[in-house]
Amino acid sequence: MPRRFSATPYLFLAPALLVIGVFILYPVASVVFYSLTDYDIVRPPVFIGLENYQRLFADATFWKALTNSIVYLVATPIIIVLSIALAIAVNRRLRGVQLFRALYYVPAVSGSIAIGISWRWLFDRNGVINGVLLWLGAIRQPIQWLAEPSLVLPIAILLTIWAGIGYYAVIFLAGLQNIPEELYDAARIDGCNELRKHWHVSLPGLRPQIVFVFIISSLAALKVFDEIYVLTNRTGGILDSGTTMVFYLWKQAFVLSHAGYASAIAIVLLVLTLGFSIVNVRLLERGTDTA
Amino acid sequence: MDGVGAMELPLPVETARPRRRRWRGRVASTLWYVLFTLIALVTVFPFAWILLTSFKGPGDILFAVPPPVIPHDWTLANYGKVLAALPVPRFFLNSILVSVTLTALNVLVTSLAAYPLAKMHFRGRDAIFYLLLATLIVPVQLTYVPSFVLAVNVFGYYDSLPALVFPNLASAFNIFLMRQAFRGVPNDLIDAARVDGAQELRIWWQVLMPIVRPSLAAVAIFTFVTSWNDFLWPSLMLHTRDEMTLPVGLAALQGYFSSDFRSIAAGVTLTVVPILVFFVAVQRYFVRGLAGAVKG
Amino acid sequence: MKTRKHLALGLAAVLAVGACQSSAPASSGPASAPASAVTSPSAAPSTAESASPTAAASASAAPLAADPAEAVIPNVEQGATVKFWTFYLSPTFDDYIKATIARFEQTYPGVKVDWEDHQATFQDDLKGAFAAGSAPDVINLSVGEGWVSDYATKDLLLPLDDKVPAAVKDIYYPGLWKEQLVGGKNYQFPWYQGISVELINKRLYEQGAGLSAADFPKTVDGLPQVCQTIKDKTGTVCDIRLTVSDLLSQMVYEGNVKVMSDDGKSFTFDSADGVAWLKMYADMVKAGTVDNTILTTNDDRVGLLLFSAGQAAFYQTGPNLIREVKSNNSQLYGDLAVVPAPVGKSGVVGKGLMGISVKADTKYPNAAIALAQYFTNPRSMVEFAQQVAVYPSSAKAYEDPFFASTPSAIEDSARPIAKDIVSKYADIVPTIPKKADVNDIVLHAVEDALFNNVDPQKALTEAVAKANALIK
Repeated sequence: MPRRFSATPYLFLAPALLVIGVFILYPVASVVFYSLTDYDIVRPPVFIGLENYQRLFADATFWKALTNSIVYLVATPIIIVLSIALAIAVNRRLRGVQLFRALYYVPAVSGSIAIGISWRWLFDRNGVINGVLLWLGAIRQPIQWLAEPSLVLPIAILLTIWAGIGYYAVIFLAGLQNIPEELYDAARIDGCNELRKHWHVSLPGLRPQIVFVFIISSLAALKVFDEIYVLTNRTGGILDSGTTMVFYLWKQAFVLSHAGYASAIAIVLLVLTLGFSIVNVRLLERGTDTA
Repeated sequence: MDGVGAMELPLPVETARPRRRRWRGRVASTLWYVLFTLIALVTVFPFAWILLTSFKGPGDILFAVPPPVIPHDWTLANYGKVLAALPVPRFFLNSILVSVTLTALNVLVTSLAAYPLAKMHFRGRDAIFYLLLATLIVPVQLTYVPSFVLAVNVFGYYDSLPALVFPNLASAFNIFLMRQAFRGVPNDLIDAARVDGAQELRIWWQVLMPIVRPSLAAVAIFTFVTSWNDFLWPSLMLHTRDEMTLPVGLAALQGYFSSDFRSIAAGVTLTVVPILVFFVAVQRYFVRGLAGAVKG
Repeated sequence: MKTRKHLALGLAAVLAVGACQSSAPASSGPASAPASAVTSPSAAPSTAESASPTAAASASAAPLAADPAEAVIPNVEQGATVKFWTFYLSPTFDDYIKATIARFEQTYPGVKVDWEDHQATFQDDLKGAFAAGSAPDVINLSVGEGWVSDYATKDLLLPLDDKVPAAVKDIYYPGLWKEQLVGGKNYQFPWYQGISVELINKRLYEQGAGLSAADFPKTVDGLPQVCQTIKDKTGTVCDIRLTVSDLLSQMVYEGNVKVMSDDGKSFTFDSADGVAWLKMYADMVKAGTVDNTILTTNDDRVGLLLFSAGQAAFYQTGPNLIREVKSNNSQLYGDLAVVPAPVGKSGVVGKGLMGISVKADTKYPNAAIALAQYFTNPRSMVEFAQQVAVYPSSAKAYEDPFFASTPSAIEDSARPIAKDIVSKYADIVPTIPKKADVNDIVLHAVEDALFNNVDPQKALTEAVAKANALIK
């Protein structure tokens, strides 16, 4: 239907578009430019063509960071499964269950720096974990957890999972409470046991939450930084064992003062996220079709 | 009370053999409690450890096999040291200031933008919407170098709190969530208001906003938590003690007391406990708010 | 903050005596203190007069009183406010810093000082501040960690040689003034100096491992054997840290490695000396006798933490950090011995610890230079040394009777010999172009050799190739 031009919708949109334009669109454009320059933020950028990208492909640390960021995605399915299980567990009327829910929420609201500090102590050579293992006789020598290149990333992933479960469980809990009781009754009448009941009723009922959490937590996994920063004491770990894309971006831009090179990393990160999002959308569409 | 509390899901209670059922219920609930306690141990343990460490005096050994748990040389001196050295209350104030301002403004800006996208027809609507969606995939860290330059050269808010607020005033994610919420509102309501001659701004504020309150709460909660925990950008922007937010202050504190475990523990406790108390207090609203985020 | 691993061998006995806390250290070795007053370059009239404030300071009756003779920098900008950053000095030395600033503001009326201290994030903060154009005018930079050359090679610091009157320059030990030249120019006023010592936890080292603190290895290559014994007997590992932010310099001092060709055009640290240096550490990692996290941390305090927790047999640091041990673990403090740190193959005593630099584009160069100079002048340095076991950078300061007095606490046991050691500090590391990037390459090579089973020779040769490509 033809209508008169009205400025109203644009005025409504203006503040948001201004902010997004200035703080996302403009930066993306300038990152593309910076990635073609030698730039240290202090002095003006010098155009060097594709040199940063050429160096990137020959840079072992970059490949390590890329691999680590992709590996980090394993956190997502684990978080989803565990937080659904936790949501189902606490979705019952028991005295004091509210308190437990709150306790599970502790890591999520404490902030990544606080939990990072506490975890670094746990996994210190003289930390509690070694102390307990030695005491139980499970090990004879303390393990240098965070100095073991093969362990740094798994510990960081574990930390992310541990901190995320309580948070995402709340979302799933909210979803569970929206599922009509009659569906469970019907399942019971059909002779489903506890487990099958959840398989047939809870999981389909939680579909929107699962999609939501999947997107949120996988995007978060792709841009992990804080955990690595604290656990490795700002180094990225021995042999770059904990270095992720964002960590490497930060290190190049703000520690080594190679903002141009960091911008090239940023562009790769953008391409990676874009590719991942496309796959995401495809998977979700296919999932919806078969459901 | 116990009987009621011990019930599992509100299933139809069978009257046959009530005693046995009751007994089984008790066993089940005990098992649940055991399980819940175990999970709670896992989630709370590191903080419990930190809490206990923060009370340990110089006479307490921190490392031993088995690890010592209970302080023998109880003291509050570590807290005194932290508070004397760093303006922890100031960190709190800054964090609250930033998170509250940011959340309030962000909710306003994004729901303003979401309204036309959900309920109006105009040129370029789809283009704008897809452009916004596309920005969803831009990792925010990608923008930090240019944003740093902007903060220094254009806006001049480097090393001050506005540096944390302005870049985050709008997010495609929140616009998207609010658009979904507005779409759920029946058009009749809006049309009726228009017939009454209401301005669009009034319709948005008086008709739509009250209806989508659960979604607003969800968006507000997400924004608040994200802002409260944000570290990387604030750490790039804030270097003066009195301007620091909690996470940045905590990282500074870790460096400050780097060879003093007990004081770091006191610092972590000081920053974590108030926020925990707050979240336990508002837990109910929190769950309800998050329920508003994603609807089936 | 890690101080260098070098100390004159002949001083071992003196320190060991102090370590046992039994008697006053013999003053035979460094007894040249008064004599050096004659040789000290006191030709400058202004500094010659400042002998009196030094004496006044040690009397310390009125530490705040300003002395016009301390005003040695001319043409200080009126109405200037200079920003001053220090590293890890607050809160312990708040009183000292504030008092010195107050005295400075009296000495140079019309100049105000805006002081901030930064700790673990100092480097990140400073780089951010430089990027933001809001860097402090006067900056406390570590010479030991190579920070001065890092920033100087990026043209961020002010070369001082032409700006500072010759008479003022001459008060500092020449070795310290020239200890971190970049392109032949000096960018720092030598500030407080450290004397590397080895702190020994006698409970672990002597009772546990059956070793004797007095027989602590005199050279770095004795460490692997000691660490093996400690590991076998006590199950603890050695608390040793590489200078990860300045590895080439460590190779020079410890391994006597020639890191660059004479023309400064190519790197040569993959020589037999370089490989031997790296192999020693790689073997220790393989034997599991060192704490791997600490070996490659960039944070000196992490190693101190392990030692303070009573979990390491020894730790190399400056005596100024003994107070940290004391406040964290009073029991360990009682079990402490202090011996000279082992010397590397270069045999060179070592280089300085801290400097104060001025940023290149400061609005008030003279006021900034004045402040940097003021903190490093003899009077300020003596007062600082009276607070904690740090040592001045000029001969004049050591004339103060304080340095002839007999120390009682273990952390002061190096005081009588400090002058002799500090005056010999010298830079033997060539200027390294693109130092931060080259260091990053070396760090990766070192980590590869230590933790990735890469042959040290191969790792270093590859690093040399990469570093050469970088500076081409």
